[in-house]
Amino acid sequence: MGWFARWRRRPDPDQDLADEIRFHLEAETRLRVDRGEAPTSARQHATRDFGNVLQVQETTRDMWGWSPAALVDDTRHAMRRLRAKPSSALTAAGMLALAIGLATAMFTLVDALVLRPAPFHDPSRLIRAELRWGNNGRTVVPPSVLAAWRASPLFSNVAGAATASSILDTDAGSLVRASAHVSPGLFDLLGVHPSRGRAFTAEEGRAGSDAVALLSEDLWRTTFASDPRILDRTITLDGARVQVVGLMPGGFRFPDWNTVIWQPIDFDAPPPGHARDLPEPFLRLAPGVTAAAALDAAAAMARAASSAVPSNTWVQMRAFAGSSLDAYYTHAVPILSAGVALVFLVLCANAGSLLLARLTARAAEFRMCIALGASRGRLLREAIFEHAAIATGGALGGLGLAWGLVRVARALLPEAFLSRTLHVVTLDTRAVVVALGAAFSAALTAGVIPAWIATRPAARSAAASGRGGTETRAGRAMTRTLLVVELSLACALLVLATLLVRSFMNLAAIDRGLDTDGVLTMRVAMPSTPSDPAARAAMAAAVKDRLGALPHVAEMTVSGGVPPGGGSRYYDYDWQPLEPGAKPVRISVAGGFDIGPDFFHLYRIALLDGRGFEPGDDLHAVILGERLAHLLWPTGSAVGRSFTSFKELTPYHVVGVARELRFPTVDAFADHPQFYAPFTGRGLGAISLRCAGPCPDEATVRREILAAAPGATIYGFGLLDDVYREALARPRGAAALGTTFAIIAMLAAAGGLFSVLTYAVGRRRREFGVRVALGASPADVRQLVLRDGFRVAGIGIAIGTAASAALGRVIASIEYGVSRFDPATYAVVLGLLLVTTLAASWRPARRAMTVDPSELLRDE
Amino acid sequence: MPPRRRHQTRIELVQGTLDMLILKTLNAGPRHGHGIGLAIRSGSDDALDIDHGSLYPALHRLERRGWLAAEWKLSDNHQRAKFYRLTPSGRRQLASERSRWRRAVDAIARIMDPA
Repeated sequence: MGWFARWRRRPDPDQDLADEIRFHLEAETRLRVDRGEAPTSARQHATRDFGNVLQVQETTRDMWGWSPAALVDDTRHAMRRLRAKPSSALTAAGMLALAIGLATAMFTLVDALVLRPAPFHDPSRLIRAELRWGNNGRTVVPPSVLAAWRASPLFSNVAGAATASSILDTDAGSLVRASAHVSPGLFDLLGVHPSRGRAFTAEEGRAGSDAVALLSEDLWRTTFASDPRILDRTITLDGARVQVVGLMPGGFRFPDWNTVIWQPIDFDAPPPGHARDLPEPFLRLAPGVTAAAALDAAAAMARAASSAVPSNTWVQMRAFAGSSLDAYYTHAVPILSAGVALVFLVLCANAGSLLLARLTARAAEFRMCIALGASRGRLLREAIFEHAAIATGGALGGLGLAWGLVRVARALLPEAFLSRTLHVVTLDTRAVVVALGAAFSAALTAGVIPAWIATRPAARSAAASGRGGTETRAGRAMTRTLLVVELSLACALLVLATLLVRSFMNLAAIDRGLDTDGVLTMRVAMPSTPSDPAARAAMAAAVKDRLGALPHVAEMTVSGGVPPGGGSRYYDYDWQPLEPGAKPVRISVAGGFDIGPDFFHLYRIALLDGRGFEPGDDLHAVILGERLAHLLWPTGSAVGRSFTSFKELTPYHVVGVARELRFPTVDAFADHPQFYAPFTGRGLGAISLRCAGPCPDEATVRREILAAAPGATIYGFGLLDDVYREALARPRGAAALGTTFAIIAMLAAAGGLFSVLTYAVGRRRREFGVRVALGASPADVRQLVLRDGFRVAGIGIAIGTAASAALGRVIASIEYGVSRFDPATYAVVLGLLLVTTLAASWRPARRAMTVDPSELLRDE
Repeated sequence: MPPRRRHQTRIELVQGTLDMLILKTLNAGPRHGHGIGLAIRSGSDDALDIDHGSLYPALHRLERRGWLAAEWKLSDNHQRAKFYRLTPSGRRQLASERSRWRRAVDAIARIMDPA
């Protein structure tokens, strides 16, 4: 007998019991007939002697307790009931799937972003160090300091990494990819091993033995089409032939999120082309050493090792990419998580009220079962089985939805967001565990609680007095409370979303103060050779000529920093205007740009007062931005006035005032006031190109620069527009997410309102019939239903508004230009919710109007 | 209307006693539910007439406790019926219930007929 046949003949305890009783009755009938009774009366007497068949069945079933027969039976019943009335079950399962899917997807993002530790061996003993001095300035780490730390017993391993960009020549053309020059021992320090081939040996990295590289598996797959003979190949990197000795695992990202090529370098004896590479140090603490003690000792060692290190230096620990969140994310992530939790609750509450309505409709059936001898435990068990099946369906759907959402998020999220994480954002066991936990709590709230409520004796006997002509008071209270909760949550989320949308719109509408369209920026560091100043100047001029000759390049300027955040920053200085009686002004942060003559013209920055720089200007001429000019001299023109600052004795004098540059961000520090000084560098600094057509691509520009200045380092290459757009990506993402959640919550609340009102109208048909018979018009009946809906909505909106006003301070950190007490916001939200309530209540109200009293009374 | 004779001799049985009677009946061999009812009636010479409605809950309860085992077989009339038989633990339960009942009866007899 095959397993399928066995499954088809699986025992059906219900059926068996019915058969058993039927056999008994037939046997008893036969007995009586043998004794001489007439067949029909024999049958009657047998049946009457037996007693109420249904009652016996119920009582017997109760004897099963929790045996497998009982569980099988209850599961069967639950399945049968689900199949009979699938629509509300499917809706409830759908809502649970949405809730679980959202919660899981959000957890995956937060997990990759915040919760998971760095994917290295024993990451708590790893330190990414930086040297800071004086007023929180950063300084580079000379190789001698690195060597001193390596020799110290406090650290079991020390390595350095210098990031760069490399040009990779492939058959398809030249590509630019982020790369890093690293100490050979770096991978040992991290505890990561190549998936193929080998890591670097200790000798590699000096001149002559550095023509090797490690590639990321991702690069191997996309660019080299998973060539199985990759380890035998040499590739062309920055014009040199380099052998690939190994592949790093696909998810490995170090030190930046997009580093895909690693080459060895010995920082103590670097090859000529990389003599100016300065490492970012990575340290592993020796066992038993505390971080604080090690950092103090490291600072002392650094001061002793190199004269270039100032005396007020300290070593600061910097977090790995995975946990270095800036202010925006530190606030946004908890808020988003709270939003998801709220939506989860709303959807579970909705599903719960749906299932409760479903069960309450069967109150008469429950009463009969109890009267026939079933125990409350059995009814509860059946109800829970039914809800468990729905919750299981919801959990499976939720997992599928989460998988889809994560894929969409990976594709759509801005790269700057994904770059914060060292982990690939994907669904894994942790997320699945969270999903199951969510499913369990959803099943508990939406499944067990309604089952408990619906099978209470009070719920069943309440209608014993009447004949179920209207809702029970307890049922009303329960469903209405759930609805109020849902609506207040929807209201709070809508307020949040409106604030986020308005913040984003304000940010996008900011007058940036300059024209970023078609502007290409990059920073160029001249090579160490030649050292003769005249030769260096000629080299710089050659670079400028070559760049100027590129197609579509219309304007070019060299400066010491480019907007928005380039240049030097000055923190917490007193600016003292040199007027008699003027008080010093404390400026917490200001940005200074050293600019060439074409700067304002290239960037189309308007000069509001005075003039631009002229060749005769000394080094203490400045052009102030509007904000600084206004801060220092609130009245009158700033042109021609002087001030002192920055611990300099020689005063600065203002020759012009320029339009303020604004950066669309909520972070006040990033959008700081600026001023300009003449550029005196003989090197290249930052180069800005304005293109009169499509801008030249990175490989072309790099080639031109390297042709004129071999060994130069180019970094920070990109379109300026992208930087500004990237800054808007975060508030845009937050607004989009907030709106999505709010819409989901609103739809869920609307759906809940609709189903509850429909069910209520169905229960109250008799009551409506009586009212109409007593003289009420259909419009009056409609008013009853509408009033019900609007009363619930009103209470919900009131609570939601109060909650969002109370929580306003939490979201203040990510909003811009809007006040949380702004009436326009609340007016919009109120309008939306009232319209939704009306839409949800309309059909049930209309259905109530169609009650015909005569047909109802006929049922009596 | 059932015959008056039956009505007069219908004795109320406590649940525990019914269980004991069922176990004793099955001690002689497996039977189906109807047969058990008949056996008790005939074994008591029609003095005890089990309320069939309480017979089946009792049988299922005993089966649940593991004192009875059941299987579906064909009856004399070639109809599918559920046959119950005593399990070893059921046999032990019968012995213990018998001795308990004995003690109860003796105690009551001492009160009713003090010797």
